[in-house]
Amino acid sequence: MMILWGSGFLSLASGFPDKPITVIVPFGAGGGSDTFVRIFQKAIRDHDLSPQPFVVKNVDGAGGTIGSRTALGAEPDGYTILCLHDGIYTAQHYGNADWGPADFEPVAATGRSGVVVAVAESSPYSSLSELMSVAVRRPPQLVYGTNLGAPNHYSALFLQNGKDGARFRFTQTGGGAKRFNQLKGGHIDVTGFSVAEYEQFKGSGIRALAVLGEEREAALPDLPTAKEQDVDAVHSLMQFWWAPKGTPPERVAYLEDLLRRTMNTSQVKERLAQQHYEPVFHSGEALRAVIRSRSEDLAGLKIKPLDSLPPLHWLALGVVIVCGVWVWREGEIR
Amino acid sequence: MVEIFTSPIVLGLALLGVSLGITVGAVPGLTGTMLIALALPLTFSMEPVSALVLLVAMYVGAVSGGLISATLLRMPGTPAAVMTTLDGYPMARGGQPGRALGLGIGASLVGGLISWMALWQLSEPMAEWSTKLGPFEYFSLVILALALLAGMGESTRARGLLAGGLGVLAAMPGMHPATGELRWTLGMTAMNDGFRLIPVLIGLFAIGKILGDLTGEPGEVSRAKGEDRAWVDWATWKVQFNNLLRSSGIGTLIGVLPGVGANVGSLAAYMTAKRASKTPEQFGKGSEEGIVASEAANNATVGGALIPLIALGVPGSVIGAVLLGALIVHGLQPGPLLFKQNPEAVHAIIGTVLVANVMMFGLMLAGARWIARLSALPQKVLMPGVSICCIWGAYALNGQMVDVLVMLIFGVIGWRMEQARLPLAAFVIGFVLAPVAEEKLCAGLMASGGSYAPLITRPLSLLMLVGAALLLLRKNNISASAASS
Repeated sequence: MMILWGSGFLSLASGFPDKPITVIVPFGAGGGSDTFVRIFQKAIRDHDLSPQPFVVKNVDGAGGTIGSRTALGAEPDGYTILCLHDGIYTAQHYGNADWGPADFEPVAATGRSGVVVAVAESSPYSSLSELMSVAVRRPPQLVYGTNLGAPNHYSALFLQNGKDGARFRFTQTGGGAKRFNQLKGGHIDVTGFSVAEYEQFKGSGIRALAVLGEEREAALPDLPTAKEQDVDAVHSLMQFWWAPKGTPPERVAYLEDLLRRTMNTSQVKERLAQQHYEPVFHSGEALRAVIRSRSEDLAGLKIKPLDSLPPLHWLALGVVIVCGVWVWREGEIR
Repeated sequence: MVEIFTSPIVLGLALLGVSLGITVGAVPGLTGTMLIALALPLTFSMEPVSALVLLVAMYVGAVSGGLISATLLRMPGTPAAVMTTLDGYPMARGGQPGRALGLGIGASLVGGLISWMALWQLSEPMAEWSTKLGPFEYFSLVILALALLAGMGESTRARGLLAGGLGVLAAMPGMHPATGELRWTLGMTAMNDGFRLIPVLIGLFAIGKILGDLTGEPGEVSRAKGEDRAWVDWATWKVQFNNLLRSSGIGTLIGVLPGVGANVGSLAAYMTAKRASKTPEQFGKGSEEGIVASEAANNATVGGALIPLIALGVPGSVIGAVLLGALIVHGLQPGPLLFKQNPEAVHAIIGTVLVANVMMFGLMLAGARWIARLSALPQKVLMPGVSICCIWGAYALNGQMVDVLVMLIFGVIGWRMEQARLPLAAFVIGFVLAPVAEEKLCAGLMASGGSYAPLITRPLSLLMLVGAALLLLRKNNISASAASS
């Protein structure tokens, strides 16, 4: 009894949180991740779940690595946390970050979003197995639009690995809106979307071939999984909250509990359902297991080096040197 | 649509949004995106319609406000106003700050209205059109823009090329725009995203200008009184009629393309206007056409940028993404059906583009007389204030000290470049267009399996390349005939 009272007293005395908690979103305002965090931010405020609000800080750039680096170096006092999905694994695997999940204190995972493989309405492929058989028969001819190094690229790699001999021609297309634009215009043959993105775009000239889940998506009951179509590919996007390494455990526990209580409000449940997030919640040992298994999944993937592209940076340097000499000579003559 | 704007609260929000937008737009370093991100949580407690009105009004205001500092201080308040500095500032220095502002404000209104018409009536075909452009078309479009640029400013061709090349070079460090691999970062994580547009621009123009003024001869800083009128008569607008239409059209079209923003729109319109002009030698020395082209186009991108959102429910731009985010947080389901199920939301967005542009015109024109007096303020009052804004703005961008450092470094570069008579505009064009060109060319090559052939086998791409070649040839003819005469 005394001990319980004592610990309650301690947490009261330490008074965490006594100032707003900054959530670093490593992407721009208005993107999927930003909206995801703001749903939590609004619910915490609307339901008075914490004495202090969440403050969203968008630190975007370089595929999320600028923001995650900022969180990595933040004061480990629980007042700065990071919300970042599978991009934290893929940036490390792709070689764009030399830090990864192991360098943070995981707080919780809140919500999982399915991945859909889609083609244009006018595409000749009516099923994933048809598409994959072309990818095997005439490799690599099908152009797969991705955002290289981002989770979306990895979904594509998992899909390619799901069928022996299948090869796609990966190209850089960019975020969801750009992939939609290029798919609709016929500049790419196939691409992946989150279920939420697909739901937004589906009425405008694209259709899905499969979902890369273990089971069908609740919102798309008629859409078969890749596994049902004999392609052994499973991938999804999970949202994780991370604290800098060394954050006091009781503060991590407070944040975890806050996220759990927020997650349990009907408001967040509704909004996440609208965004087609499956409302999973992981913390503690279960969370660590999820993180381990997601890291291991990636470890098995090999990325084929890209074909040689024009070295425009050296070209630019050459032009500058030549023009520099030219301008200098001009100056001499005068 | 009209009934939304009969509510005094909605009108008040629009006015508030436009005023705040103009203010952040005018301050070098503060941008509309920043303001909108700050305002977003505040809109959570509002009605969805009010939230949309406020956010769109802020966006319109911010794109417009940039012309004030661009004209009076030669410091683009927003990236979209870079081209306005080229002619606005010389005209203001020449004793007509009021007229320079008036031209910019009027052109902004026309650009805004034309793109509003497109948004209202043509959004579906234009959204459809934007999907026709693949990576090779984008690349050819950039080449066309560069061909328009050849012979920019009064400096020699070598100097223009050198400045442009330096701009390209400055765009190279960081993540490769197509492969996402890191390049020239010297192992510093802070460099993963390369040099960001805002700190580079504020550095080159604002800090460079301050350094130049500090070290320049005192005689150079004599200033205009700023007492001329901002009202521009009809005769002038009649002369500018074609230019207004063309620049607004270019701005709207470029605004529709995903990932290409207001700065590219005003760049392209400015360069086209110079090509079409009977007096291209005036460009860069206070040309009225130059101011009109740049400002009409950058406001026109606002309507264009909203077209994919309205027609397809797809966020094609930063503002589109923010509005979509606001809709989701408010519990509306985005997608093409959104606008069938919530016509109010669509009407609020489209209507605000109109209302906010008109309010912007009224506010800025009414204030122009007083704003123009800024140019009569003594340097020692103005410059410390501007410096503080710049440093604050660069820091606020992402909360990173690195951005402030980048800004200062590019300040020194801009100052030295001006001493060496290297045109800053060419640098900016290289810096802005190089990543687009590289991303699209590499993306195209990845999709074609390394073949350059689609550049000439795809009709639209071929057309643009032929256009670029013709422009370059014609340019040579002009200089040849000029040399022989």
